Amino acid sequence: MMHIIKKNKFLLLLGIVALLLPLFVHSKFHLNTLILLLLFATIAGAWNILGGYGGQLSLGHTIFFGLGAYTSSLLYLNYGTSPWIGLIAAAAISIAAGIFIGWPTFRLKGPYFTLATIAFAEVIRLLCLYWRDLTKGSMGINIRFEPGLSNLIFREYSSYYYFALVLFLISLAIVYWVDRTRVGYYLKAIREDEDSAETLGINVTKYKMIAMVISAGLTGVAGVLYAQFMLFFEPESVFNLNFSIEIALIAIVGGMGTVYGPLLGAAIIVPLNEILRSSFPALSGMNYFIYGIVLVLIVSFMPNGLMPVLKRIPKKFKSRKKVQVSGSRKKTAS
Amino acid sequence: MLKLDNINLFYGEIQALWNLSMEIKEGQIAALLGANAAGKSSTINAISGLEKISGGKITFLGKEIHKMDPHEIVEEGIIQVPEGRKLFNYMSIQENLELGAYSKRAKKDFKKNLRMVFDLFPILEERKNQFAGEMSGGQQQMCAIARGLMSSPKLLIIDELSLGLAPILVQKLLKALVDIKNSGITILLVEQNVKQSLAISDEACVLENGRLALSGKADELLNNPHLKKAYLGM
Repeated sequence: MMHIIKKNKFLLLLGIVALLLPLFVHSKFHLNTLILLLLFATIAGAWNILGGYGGQLSLGHTIFFGLGAYTSSLLYLNYGTSPWIGLIAAAAISIAAGIFIGWPTFRLKGPYFTLATIAFAEVIRLLCLYWRDLTKGSMGINIRFEPGLSNLIFREYSSYYYFALVLFLISLAIVYWVDRTRVGYYLKAIREDEDSAETLGINVTKYKMIAMVISAGLTGVAGVLYAQFMLFFEPESVFNLNFSIEIALIAIVGGMGTVYGPLLGAAIIVPLNEILRSSFPALSGMNYFIYGIVLVLIVSFMPNGLMPVLKRIPKKFKSRKKVQVSGSRKKTAS
Repeated sequence: MLKLDNINLFYGEIQALWNLSMEIKEGQIAALLGANAAGKSSTINAISGLEKISGGKITFLGKEIHKMDPHEIVEEGIIQVPEGRKLFNYMSIQENLELGAYSKRAKKDFKKNLRMVFDLFPILEERKNQFAGEMSGGQQQMCAIARGLMSSPKLLIIDELSLGLAPILVQKLLKALVDIKNSGITILLVEQNVKQSLAISDEACVLENGRLALSGKADELLNNPHLKKAYLGM
């Protein structure tokens, strides 16, 4: 851990700022944006393991998010089960759903997995919409406001912020682990050329499933945070296709297959979305228009996302410095 | 060592291999020859488990392997160097080689194998930190062969070794194949370049339209009038 911190002084500074932020930010709007930023960074980070590292484009990640939210909330409302236990149940149900989707589709080549995630998300949305006895359908799930650590419901937004921060750090640590171990290596090989990875003897299905299990579990846990923070949700809000696309876009804009890309993507897209939404209340759809233009520009000019571009900046700076130093040495010598 | 017994392979309704039988003996270089669409790649994909056969059987060192998954077949000791190299272009040479050592047997011999491939292709050691995609075609082919060798194979299958390479580089690679054979690894060489591949091979099989047209000792085939006429234009 220490060597990571030593290597990344900027990250250490960022961490300190993140810890102290609620002491200086008191506006509910800003705190809400920060919580959503961390939540989206967590989900995009989870998506990144499967989509960014493994190259498996999921456009139905809301399946796991929504199942996580419903699992913990229904356990809490119907059986009084603490959302802390709900976190585990949510992860387990999301993982089970991930295995259910991945098992048949990961063996096939082509876009079947992507199509299956979209279809499955729609099936689950309709199921939650019409299975009113269990899910209350379109009336949605209302969680009583009973603040307390055991209920994972807080009066202060800052508490939610810290919870979201911890969750994000856990997801970051997992992505870092994936990036630095053989799992990440094999996933990248599968992403680059699945046939080639297969001829080398890499158990392609196994590693896709590992990525799926981690990704689905993390997303399910993020769904619990969302439910406990919003205290109300319905099928349309948690199983929305646009939401799935937004998760993927955050990782794509930030940099797929990079550790910090999802955080960077979320730091751009979430505030942009929130600011645009609040800036054009009269002009319905204007926020989506500007949001779309920004995304098209980023994807057009930086197809690998922002992170690889940012990574190159210090290198360029160093090489310029070297050129300057060698130039001044030559002058001194002459 | 490897025996194909009456295998049939279909792509949908199209039959690519018709009751194909052939055998590869241990410690040899065997050439699998044929024109485009003769069924060469289908044959080696069937051996590697990338395509499932619908009839017949494939045995390797006495063990049936045609129902195994590709990763299990690699574990048995068969590795394929695919056509067009198929390196991981955005990974370094070193990383590509590390990925070659996926099987349990290979992990054990990682250091030894790495030294062996660097001795065989010194340029790879010099450029081990360079992206594979930045190398020349010949160097990429060396890397692809080296990646295959990292898996400690008993049988190395090489698909279209000479594809897109200058003759001088092909000569260099063919010489390396003889060195690999001499180290005890059996090689199945799939080629369209009949003359050059037969020159280093011990035995050869010629495919035509998914069927075995000719087989025998490489030097005998080199003097076969049918082969000369069909493939060498002589």
